[in-house]
Amino acid sequence: MDFYFGLAQLIGVHTLLGLSAYVVLLTGQVSLAQAGFFAIGAYVAAMLTVLAGWHLVPALGAAALTGATTACAVGFPALRVKGLMLVIATLAFGEGVRLFFFNFDYQIARGDVKVGPLGGEGFRQIRFFPENGWTTLEVMLFIWIFVLLVMALLWWLDRSRYGAVLRAVGEDELAAQSAGINLTAVKVSAITLGGAIAALGGGLYAHYATHIEHLSFGILLATFAIAYPIVGGLASVFGTLAAVLFVQGFLVEGLRDLGDWRNLLFGALIVLAMNLRPRGFLDAGNLRAIKRLFWGGGRGAP
Amino acid sequence: MLADLVQNTLDGLAAGSAYALLAVGFTLIFGVLRRVNLCYGPAIMLGCYAATFVHLSFGAGLLVLALVCVLASVLAGGYVERLCFAPHRKGSGIAAMVASFALWMQLEEVAILALPKHLYPFPALYDGKPIDLAGFTIRVEALVMLGAASVVCAALWWVLYRTRFGIAARAVIDSPLAAELSGISVPRVSMGVFALASAIGGLAGFLVSASFEQVTPMLGMWSTFKGLLAMMLGGLGSLPGAVAGALVLGLVEAHSQWFLGPQLRDLLAFLMLFMLLAIGPRWMTTR
Repeated sequence: MDFYFGLAQLIGVHTLLGLSAYVVLLTGQVSLAQAGFFAIGAYVAAMLTVLAGWHLVPALGAAALTGATTACAVGFPALRVKGLMLVIATLAFGEGVRLFFFNFDYQIARGDVKVGPLGGEGFRQIRFFPENGWTTLEVMLFIWIFVLLVMALLWWLDRSRYGAVLRAVGEDELAAQSAGINLTAVKVSAITLGGAIAALGGGLYAHYATHIEHLSFGILLATFAIAYPIVGGLASVFGTLAAVLFVQGFLVEGLRDLGDWRNLLFGALIVLAMNLRPRGFLDAGNLRAIKRLFWGGGRGAP
Repeated sequence: MLADLVQNTLDGLAAGSAYALLAVGFTLIFGVLRRVNLCYGPAIMLGCYAATFVHLSFGAGLLVLALVCVLASVLAGGYVERLCFAPHRKGSGIAAMVASFALWMQLEEVAILALPKHLYPFPALYDGKPIDLAGFTIRVEALVMLGAASVVCAALWWVLYRTRFGIAARAVIDSPLAAELSGISVPRVSMGVFALASAIGGLAGFLVSASFEQVTPMLGMWSTFKGLLAMMLGGLGSLPGAVAGALVLGLVEAHSQWFLGPQLRDLLAFLMLFMLLAIGPRWMTTR
């Protein structure tokens, strides 16, 4: 059973990562910096619990705050550029963060062992959960509380005026600007929110993994982050969740028996998904169909 | 001190000429398709793996290996174009980028399945000693790469400015719609440009593998990053710019490695790119 709890932990953390990219994508911006914010959250939260002896919950709060601050500071200059330029700029930032942690040493002695991040070796012994006797099930539930909170927040945002503004910018910047929307403010606020969510996910990841290193936060993770909302579709937060379940649950875990052939099929299935549904699993059309199925009648567009 | 500076500059230019080939291929693809092809490097890596496979199985010579490398890269590149870029010609570039990322994982897996060890030796481009010039060493491999980069650039200029295919390609770069209206088959031109870029990439991969005398699966990501960085530093979408950007990247890396050490070298390259894009001049970012 622990295996499935572990898988659920992974899916939860990746859902947070995907949702952080989802918020930014709503404004039409593609950010490959999410893995960087995720790494910042992981290192900040782990350093606070291991080195400063904080409880996990305030440490996660501090991590989210750091992620948001960094994202805001990066967003202001980076969002001057659009489209592919932004992809490259955020990719450069993400790789910069990874290489920063590759060079980052800060160790203190704890008893007879030294703890803390150690460059390429990574950050070992993040033992908050084992030290406090949390079971795998409890850790999983803890992670999913955050996932559900964030999903609820984003679901509610989508129904608020702010969500409409985000989508208006994503749909047509020029039209949004003529309607009096401050483009920079909207985009920077979206990337700030995304940074906080990614850092929160990173903090949770560091604690259930107990060992983090710079290699885990490379372009691979950054592309996964952007792939979830794209594969799942941008019509609803549930698209991202569906895509994480599809990718991590089915493609990665479900096909594990295939051994070496898994990655071949993985690539082929993602390409197939993108070619069959370029707008993702859940686009506006079939979201409406699903709603009609559950609530009956056609109450018009969502 | 001055001697070190000169030596580092020479080394930087040598590395830069390898980057130049990668960046030129990248720029061609970007210019025509307006898409980031994350799978550019992995296709090159697959070409190098095919060459290594031929070398291990038949002990083929360098010339044959170069040919195999270029051919396999073109095939892999064509595969990527068909699956990732042909279906997404209209619409957003993001879907194409995600698809090219998926194929990256696939190509890497193919290479690892064919040759499972972490590192394979590659025959050396040149066995002798480096040239000694007034106390400075110049690697012969570097001269070959510089020569190859110059020849490829000249040939590419000829193709783009003196052939019908080149005129069609430039028309597509300027405006795909106008090109299509004047009877140019945009898909065919895209495929041709993709093949050309992959061939140049394959040549770069061959020269890099033969001068480092090894291939690893890391070559894929390495090529994508170096090509991308050099292309961006050169101001995106211009071939002379790509070459200049590649040389600048080589120089910056060589000097920062000397002054700051190898670990900070890559960090500096990425930070430089980010700063240039974020607060740099407007002309770099208007494309």
